[in-house]
Amino acid sequence: MSCLITLSHAPYGSQVAKESLDVALVLSAFEQQPAVLFVDEGVLQLLPGSQIPSPHKHIGKILSALEMYDINELWVEQESLDQFGLAIDDLSQTVNVVTRIHLGQLCAQYHQHLVF
Amino acid sequence: MAGFSYMPDLNMAASPSLDPTSLTYAIVVRCGPHQQSRALSAFQFTKEVLLQGHKVLSVFFYQQGVHTASGLRVVPQDELNLTVLWQQLSLDYDLDLGVCIAAALQAGITNQQEANRYELGSDSLASQFSLVGLGQLAAASAECDRLVSFGGN
Repeated sequence: MSCLITLSHAPYGSQVAKESLDVALVLSAFEQQPAVLFVDEGVLQLLPGSQIPSPHKHIGKILSALEMYDINELWVEQESLDQFGLAIDDLSQTVNVVTRIHLGQLCAQYHQHLVF
Repeated sequence: MAGFSYMPDLNMAASPSLDPTSLTYAIVVRCGPHQQSRALSAFQFTKEVLLQGHKVLSVFFYQQGVHTASGLRVVPQDELNLTVLWQQLSLDYDLDLGVCIAAALQAGITNQQEANRYELGSDSLASQFSLVGLGQLAAASAECDRLVSFGGN
């Protein structure tokens, strides 16, 4: 069962970003095929070298573990990058870019879709 | 916003259910009981699914949703107590209410076993709820026809 996990939360400030990535890791550990889509403030999770507020785990470390968990399909929405003035070269991970108008087609490629 | 699962083919042959018209659901509740309308939507949807003869493999409480499993919440008399509603639904339909153990422990929701392990003064998990790992969500999502998540923010 393939599952697209959409992340729309900034990396720190709440546990949501970390907990959402945990779901991706566990799904993969259970031999499902998760893919991850970053939208809205979720794209900020992809910024490298950010200072970590002390009570939080480093999101970058979890992201770099995705590959080890065979989660290789990472997507980012172009309009969200634009919103924060980011380019694909600014990001810590290799990601595929999708425009908003094509999000529906992307979702249709997966059996399930979890939105965080 | 509820994140609904997307399955393009409504007549998937792989359905584990015996009745061809009955579906198997897995429900994720990520909104807390204080987010009344969202949290109520999750409950009402689950109840309706059961009333219509479908099967619910499990309800998984995650993120803010874990607060639903607190046995120490006091709700004003003229408001709905979602904890009690879920407990009753669980009793009526033998429904499995799983709570993410990591998120629950951080929120101060613990059963007797974990309270002993961490030497806490008392336990607080409401009856009918059980503390489980994220793996239960992964297993349920692999087995279900429909994964429906009620969210957060």
